[in-house]
Parts: sequence; structure tokens; C-alpha cells
Amino acid sequence: MDERILQINHLSKSFGSNLVLKDIDFSVNQGDVISIIGASGSGKSTLLRCINLLETPSSGEILYHGKNVLGRGTNAAEYRSHVGMVFQSFNLFNNMTVLENCVVGQVRVLKRGKAEAQAHAMEYLEKVGMAPYVNARPRQISGGQKQRVAIARAMAMDPEVLLFDEPTSALDPEMVGEVLNVMQRLAESGMTMLVVTHEMAFARDVSKRVVYMNGGVICEQGSPDEVFGNPQKAETRDFLSRFRG
Amino acid sequence: MTKFAQLGADIAKLWLKYGHSYISGIENTLILALVGTLIGCLIGFICGILNTIPSGKNDHPLKRFFLGLIRVVIRIYVEVFRGTPMVLQAVFLYYGLPYFTDNAVKFTSVWAAAIVVVSINTGAYMAESVRGGIISVDPGQTEGAKAIGMTHVQTMTSVILPQALRNIMPQIGNNFIINVKDTSVMFIIGFPEFFAAHRAAVGASYLYFPSATVEMAGYLTMTLLASFLLRWAEKKMDGASSYELVQVDPLTMTAGTYSFPDKRSPFDERNPEAEKSALRESLRRQIEREEALRQGQLAEQRRDNGIHDTGFGNPDQRGEH
Repeated sequence: MDERILQINHLSKSFGSNLVLKDIDFSVNQGDVISIIGASGSGKSTLLRCINLLETPSSGEILYHGKNVLGRGTNAAEYRSHVGMVFQSFNLFNNMTVLENCVVGQVRVLKRGKAEAQAHAMEYLEKVGMAPYVNARPRQISGGQKQRVAIARAMAMDPEVLLFDEPTSALDPEMVGEVLNVMQRLAESGMTMLVVTHEMAFARDVSKRVVYMNGGVICEQGSPDEVFGNPQKAETRDFLSRFRG
Repeated sequence: MTKFAQLGADIAKLWLKYGHSYISGIENTLILALVGTLIGCLIGFICGILNTIPSGKNDHPLKRFFLGLIRVVIRIYVEVFRGTPMVLQAVFLYYGLPYFTDNAVKFTSVWAAAIVVVSINTGAYMAESVRGGIISVDPGQTEGAKAIGMTHVQTMTSVILPQALRNIMPQIGNNFIINVKDTSVMFIIGFPEFFAAHRAAVGASYLYFPSATVEMAGYLTMTLLASFLLRWAEKKMDGASSYELVQVDPLTMTAGTYSFPDKRSPFDERNPEAEKSALRESLRRQIEREEALRQGQLAEQRRDNGIHDTGFGNPDQRGEH
């Protein structure tokens, strides 16, 4: 069995009295490509944000290589540098060019030399097809291009897992393809990925495991064939039928 | 019309006699306003950063206590210095210190006193502006920075503050212009700024209105110049409005192929030894090639390709033909 990177035990999160995640158990192994699907408000994004500690879970534990990162005295910044994240709204740094966006984290967090960081950043910008735009600023490029840069920025940190929080939801339909393409190539290269998505085709064709969330719990999970081809639960069938139309 | 001629004559008279004191007044005013605004901005940034350090339930109780304390102290500072006139703050500091300490503690130079008062006053305004500037930066920027593992300080210095600074540039400009004018109250502690020059001139000449005209023109010139420079600085900060597509990027060519050799190893291009051997190697190859040319082995190929051997070309490039 592949090495286990993340193990989530009994994770719960509430905003005030609103319980968004209820007792989630979940694990991520090296090389996994997991799609998390479900209706809006089912807690998918919150789960992802909890994994990256952007939200503090109310209870439960997140084990990163067997070590709980929710305990006191864990270095959240250090942990986050191993767990990359791509946001729905890109969140590129507006005060920097495309290249600087991909370099700054390597230089300041990983303490790489500037030349090395630039060469490394170029490698990934090349892979996402954004190498010609290194001098552009985020406000000067399109949404799909921003998201590809965001992926390069995350990859340049050499993370062990990459979390995608609805990476194509804020994009015009004609830009969705270019981003999904990049993600598919990443998945094929063996990158461990956790993708919250509404793109059912991506979930079915690219991911190795599909997790269906409903009402703050993991309702059903399994291989794409199992979940899409032969859903066990009525809720899953309901949800999927809405997509098939 | 005769009145204007009269005014002109009076101003000329004043300028001849007190011109140097007006000029040095302008200099002192500008220096005081500039230094005061800069230090004030620094104070404002420090307060703004301290005010926006996040504290969560998981933090150590001592840390939360200190953060709370800092916030209270900054709040008091801001409210007191924003809520009282600068002229009185100057009096309090300059005359109050020796009064309370029986002349043991006092400002020996009006420059120091004036700069301290203007800085502290500006800092109180800037603290709030900076806080607003930091809040106005999209929270997504903070999340983006955190997601690649930046600490609070790194997030602030690399991502948030540069954007906050850009956002509050108009405020900084406002404060500078206000300082240019409001430093005129520093005559109260005997600081030789532009308005003090006016008081000295009219005290001796009784040309009250002509001198005030000089002052008006002087202050307006200073502030107009300041706003012009600030606009220019803002434009600079926004960066170029267009960008160049990089079709053949030198970095792209080497990306992933360069393996960062250890310093001073034979593979290190900066190693003088390696450079010398590379030069020897290229010379040797050039000699070999020329030898071959002489023997006529390459003469045919050379004619076909139309290469003109200059004798200085890079042997590697020539070798590709």
C-alpha cells in the first residue's frame, strides 16, 4: 500500500450553532487523485479549508504523516508549505508579476536562492503554458490564465498534496477546459490531489476515488465506476441524476 | 490697478530685505513636514501591524493578553493625539517637560521637539489609515500567502503591506500636505519655519498684507508641487500598464536542465579553473577545425553552407552546421 500522507479522524466544524462538518473520517495516500463532489453547502470546501488549517476545526484530528497538526505547538506555516492549495478566486498576489508570484514563496518560505527559484518557477509555468506571460500582472491576464499561474505557484513549492477548491467555478465556460487540462496532466504525473469540483466529467475520468458529501457527512465514496456506475445510496443517485439531466 | 502695483512694490521691498528668511523658512517647513510625515508613517505602520496581528482561541493566554494590552495602548495614543490640537501638544512637550522635571529633562533643540510633535501627531492619524489600508486588501491575498506557508510577518511584508501602502498613498499625501501647512503652529516653540518668517518680517516692516501674499503663494507652491510628486509616485507604484510577451525566454531554455553545481567544482561555470579549461578546450577545437579546413576536408561543406569563418565564432555553434 502507498504511503499515507493525511489521515482525518472524527473531524467536526461548526460556525456558531451551524454544524457544517459532522465526524468526518477520511484519508489521503501518496498518488491519490480524489474528487469531492456534492451540492453547495454540503461542507466540501470547509473540509478542504480545514485540511489546510485556513479554518480551525471544532474537534477531531488531522494526522500528517502520523502527527496531529491540530495540537498546540505545531507550526501551521511549515505544515501548509507541504500542502498546496488552489482557490476558486485564484488569490494571486496583485502586487507582483506572474513570475514573482511563483518565486516569492520559494525564496521566503523554502529559503531557495533567487536564480534557483526562478528556474524552478519557469519549469512549472512552462508546464501550465504561462511561460510567455512572466512579466504580466494578475490584473492583465484572464481568469483561466490566473488559475494556471496559481497552480504553477502551488506546484513550485513542491507540495506533497495539492488541494483544489472549486478551481473552475469562477471561470467562463471556455476557460474551464484549459485549467482541467492542466489538472489532468498533473494527475497523470502522479501528483497527489484532492479536488472539490462540480465538473463531473473530471471526477469520473481523472480521479481515482470519488467522495460524495451531503449535509456535512461523507455519504458515499469509492472508485468513479462504483460511485457513478452503481451508487449505493438514494442521495447519491438523486444528486447524480440532476447532473445527467 | 494701482493697488496691485503697490502690492508688487511692497512685496519686492519685503523680498529684498527678508527674502533669505522666507527661503530658509520654506526649507525648514519642507524638511520638518517631510521628516515628520515619514516618521509618522513609520509609527502608523507599526501601530497598524500590531493592531492586525490575529489572535485565536488556540493561542497562548500570555500572547493574547499582550496583544490586548498593545491594542488598548495604541487606542489611547490614537484618541489622545488625534483629539487635541498640535499647537497644544507642542506646548505640552516643549514647556511641560522642564516644568515637571525642574529643567532636568527638556528639549535642547526646537528641531527635535518639532519633529517629535509632528511625527507623533501624524502617526496617530496614520495608525488608523494603515489599519484601514490593511483591512481593504482582499482577504484572499492573506489566504493565498498562508496557503504557500508564509508566516504572519512574511505575509505582511511581502503581500499585504505593499498593497496597503498603495491603497493609502492618497492618505499619506493628504497628511504631508496638511503637515506642510500645519507646521506653521510650530512658531509657538520658536521653530523657524515659513510662517515664523512672516511674523518676523511684519514685526519689523508692518507690511502685513504683502507678506501674507508671499506666504499664500509660498504655501500653495509647496503643496501643488507635493501633490504633483505624489501622483507621479502613485503611477510608479502601479507598475507598467502593459507587459511584454516573452517568446524566447532565456530561463525557459535552461529550466529543469541546470543542476546547480557545487561552488568550485569542475562543473561550476564561475570556477576560474573550469573557465580556463573551457577556454583551452575551445581553442584546441578551433585549431583542430582550422587544421581540417586546411586539409580541404571541410572545404566543400563550407562552400555549400556559405559560412564565412571569421575565426572568432563560438566553435560549438559552428559545429552544429
